[in-house]
Amino acid sequence: MRAIVAVIKDTFSLADLPLSERIAFVAFLVFVFIFPWIVHSSYPRAVMINFLLFAMYGLGWNLIGGYGGQVDLGQAKNVGFGAYATALMITWWGVPFWVTVPVGIFIAVAESLAVAYPMFRLRGHYFAIATLCVALVWQQLFLFWDWTGGARGVELPIKPTPNFTFMEFGTVGYHYFIFGLFTAQFLFMNWLRKSKLGYELQAVRDNEDAAASLGINVTWTKVKAYLITAAMGAVGGSFYAVYHLYIDPRCVMHIDLTILIAMTAMVGGAGSIWGPIIGAALLIPLDMYLAALLGGKGFYGIDFIIYALIIMVIAAREPRGIWGIIERIRRKRLIHAAGGQKST
Amino acid sequence: MLLEVKNLHKEFGGVLANADISFELKAGEIVGLIGPNGAGKTTLFNCIAGYYKPTSGKVFFDGKDITGWPAHRVAKVGIARTFQVMKIMPTLTVEENIMIGAFCRTGDRQVARREAQKILELVDLMQEAKAYPPELPIAIQKRIELARALATRPKLLMLDEVAAGLNPLETKEIIQTLQKIKKERDLSLLLTEHVMEFIMTISERVIVMAAGRKIAEGVPGEVAKEKKVIEAYLGEKYAKGK
Ligand SMILES: Nc1ncnc2c1ncn2[C@@H]1O[C@H](COP(=O)(O)OP(=O)(O)OP(=O)(O)O)[C@@H](O)[C@H]1O
Ligand SMILES: [Mg+2]
Repeated sequence: MRAIVAVIKDTFSLADLPLSERIAFVAFLVFVFIFPWIVHSSYPRAVMINFLLFAMYGLGWNLIGGYGGQVDLGQAKNVGFGAYATALMITWWGVPFWVTVPVGIFIAVAESLAVAYPMFRLRGHYFAIATLCVALVWQQLFLFWDWTGGARGVELPIKPTPNFTFMEFGTVGYHYFIFGLFTAQFLFMNWLRKSKLGYELQAVRDNEDAAASLGINVTWTKVKAYLITAAMGAVGGSFYAVYHLYIDPRCVMHIDLTILIAMTAMVGGAGSIWGPIIGAALLIPLDMYLAALLGGKGFYGIDFIIYALIIMVIAAREPRGIWGIIERIRRKRLIHAAGGQKST
Repeated sequence: MLLEVKNLHKEFGGVLANADISFELKAGEIVGLIGPNGAGKTTLFNCIAGYYKPTSGKVFFDGKDITGWPAHRVAKVGIARTFQVMKIMPTLTVEENIMIGAFCRTGDRQVARREAQKILELVDLMQEAKAYPPELPIAIQKRIELARALATRPKLLMLDEVAAGLNPLETKEIIQTLQKIKKERDLSLLLTEHVMEFIMTISERVIVMAAGRKIAEGVPGEVAKEKKVIEAYLGEKYAKGK
């Protein structure tokens, strides 16, 4: 009983974070909540939904990539598993959305478990490349297979009225739907970062030998994080399917998606709870407005050049992303203040 | 017998780093492991702690055959260690470093935190609890490693050159800390060190290694007089002089 209370407290409590961060976060939640009432045009609303989706993707990736320090470049496959599980089960059998979600999660987790052990024998760049290759294989298979619709993709049946069985709504409905998913995932991550696994992952990221000397099974710790990250990707994919009512390997399995997910967390600040949200807030509007602005004029790809530049700057200046810069400035001030006190 | 090493060999591509090492360590004992550079002390630690698999030979701990067990299982069974080249978690605070040690025995964060608090007090690190290790001096970092190892509640603590790089005062302090810890925690210690005052003060028994072999064993005062031991050390100095 006490354990359950402790879990609930850890899930909702941000008490370990500075007051300013807590206030900013609540303000952010309020802003997102009232957003559909103040903004009525459809494009900004779509940007907002996409932002929440990527913030969610980023939070999930942050577990293995940020807290665990393992650069996983295969998250698109998990998004794809979730999206295809939902899309195919709904179109084939008319199964309710909420039944398809656990199926997607199951497929993503099972596949990840199968590839995890050989993959985690590799370290650093080799691990990153291995994850990339596995994801590419899946992308090719889904392009090639007939039963998944191949390159044509899958079109979900459009329901005449908004409904909760298939989670089909107007824009505002989707807004609150993804906002709910985002919040749930945020709370889960908030608990996880304070759990034993959260600490163990950071220990593994910082020094594997030291972690092992403290009784941590390094490989198993990474595998656990990898599986949870996979599950989170699948949930995002399921949402994508019912939101767009159309999927194909280009939009849910593609390497562009993988890179954008990893970048949300890395640009914002891997290994911090705010990083993925900040990263998504910066990159998603940039991505969508750039695409709208330039894409139509035959400049496709220029957004990726801009990303590459951002990545290079961040990698060179502050590997812990925007949040790392903020923390560094804050710490400097703190030390400054302490020094100032001493001298008086 | 708490620890028993039997005919342990470790070979690195033809180099015998440990050759036929056998020794025992009783519960509650403090044993020093000395020998010139490259004698094989760290290698022996790594073989016991699961970082290297011995080429042949056996390691028993608490009656269990732990030969070749992975490091994390060795830690769980009750052997903690520190590293000659420090391996501290730089992005976690001192307190969190120690909490991770405590998580070895519990899944509960509050329990781990309380344990960390106790140990911070025991090794005199209360002031540094919220600091990040890279900001702290070497002597403190050495203490963090010690504290972290202690937090796993080991029966045997293996320290690989904890006093290296410390000044005489800091060395004295760490000796006091170790003696205090040993009294409070019911521990056995196996330690290597080049600082002779340190090893000779603290150990009840010393084992001397040279070129991968055990060449002597006994009470500190007597071992230091043995001809083989003097040769091993003088030989080293002589070679260095050249
Ligand atoms: N991983 C390894 N691969 C190859 N050779 C190794 C390895 N580890 C140790 N050795 C060799 O084994 C021998 C013993 O080294 P070890 O580090 O155990 O000595 P040591 O007694 O701890 O020395 P020091 O007092 O300098 O720490 C050395 O010749 C070293 O080069
Ligand atoms: Mg050594």
